[in-house]
Amino acid sequence: MNETGKQATFLQVLQGHKGIIYKIANAYCKNDEDRKDLVQEMIVQLWRSFENYSDQYKYSTWIYRVALNVAISSYRKESKRKTIPIPGEIIQLVDQSSKLELNEHLRLLQQFISELKEVDRALMLLYLDERPYKEISEIMGLSESNVATKMGRIKKILQQKFEQHQTSSYER
Amino acid sequence: MNDNDIRSAWQSYSQLLNDSLQLNKQNAEDITKLKAKSFLQSMQPIKIFTVAVGILWVLFVFTLLVGSWSYSSLFFKSAALIQGSISAIAIIIYLYQLYLIQQVDINQPVMAAQRIIAQIKTSTIWVTRILFLQLPIWTTFYLTAATFQNGQTGWHIVQIIITGAFTLAALWLFFNIKYENRHTKWFQLIFNGKDWSPLMQAMSVLEQVEEEKV
Repeated sequence: MNETGKQATFLQVLQGHKGIIYKIANAYCKNDEDRKDLVQEMIVQLWRSFENYSDQYKYSTWIYRVALNVAISSYRKESKRKTIPIPGEIIQLVDQSSKLELNEHLRLLQQFISELKEVDRALMLLYLDERPYKEISEIMGLSESNVATKMGRIKKILQQKFEQHQTSSYER
Repeated sequence: MNDNDIRSAWQSYSQLLNDSLQLNKQNAEDITKLKAKSFLQSMQPIKIFTVAVGILWVLFVFTLLVGSWSYSSLFFKSAALIQGSISAIAIIIYLYQLYLIQQVDINQPVMAAQRIIAQIKTSTIWVTRILFLQLPIWTTFYLTAATFQNGQTGWHIVQIIITGAFTLAALWLFFNIKYENRHTKWFQLIFNGKDWSPLMQAMSVLEQVEEEKV
């Protein structure tokens, strides 16, 4: 494949999976500016590793692997770090008002997911995106039975967080 | 909120994103034209610089040691030997980190890639532990046989207390600087500040990854 063809295919793949990148960045970055930087970094790394993509796996599996690896290891400092000189966002919400439409349950769910440990957060995102256990195990490098065990534990943690929130709401 | 509620809330979020997320093709295309480094390769220059400076320092210390061998005191010889050796070990750790950076492939499954990435970052704590071991030599390198012969009892006692305290502190820090102690006050005092937070986070990730080995 020549460079133009490779670029066109990459942009097509990116277009088809932009939701994955946005959701991962959102789960690992609290503020908008950091999230924008993380999205840029993920896309740079996806492009760098695009030529190593193996069609043994689905595009989604490959994107999850790279994006999660970048997100988990970003270890952001409070201070602003050097970013890639691309002005503006690459993936953005066109209707900003839609951010406000998140219902209370979803807002809480996002908050509780962001409080999970990095590896658990990755597993939860994959589970909520309805990835089959086989694909989750390929993305994470865990056995399917291990994925199932861990998912059971993480769901319990989330459940407890919702219950605690409900109890404290009643008490107020 | 049960599992079904959680999943349906997430589905509505995914739907919302499907409807309102837009890929800025121009910006995405610009990224494909960048000669960007891998995100770990950006760590290489400072490590290479540190190794180079470290090698020069070790050469300087050992040259000083050999050059002054005939007239320097036993304390100076020991201090130079220990300092040079500790610095050499720190250099070896930095070289190990450079080797690990080459081993990372972000196309790998998350657990495998994160294990190596977290190992790179957490090995920095080994450098800190080892460098603390040199504390006592800074209280003895200037001593000679004459200072012992001519010194007063009070001076001897102060010197022993200081060197003893530094030795105990160095050993105690060497054995106790570990992730399990991260919540203690003394640990937070040493590793306070935003420069250390990436290291703490890396240690946490490594711990999560290592749990899978058990």
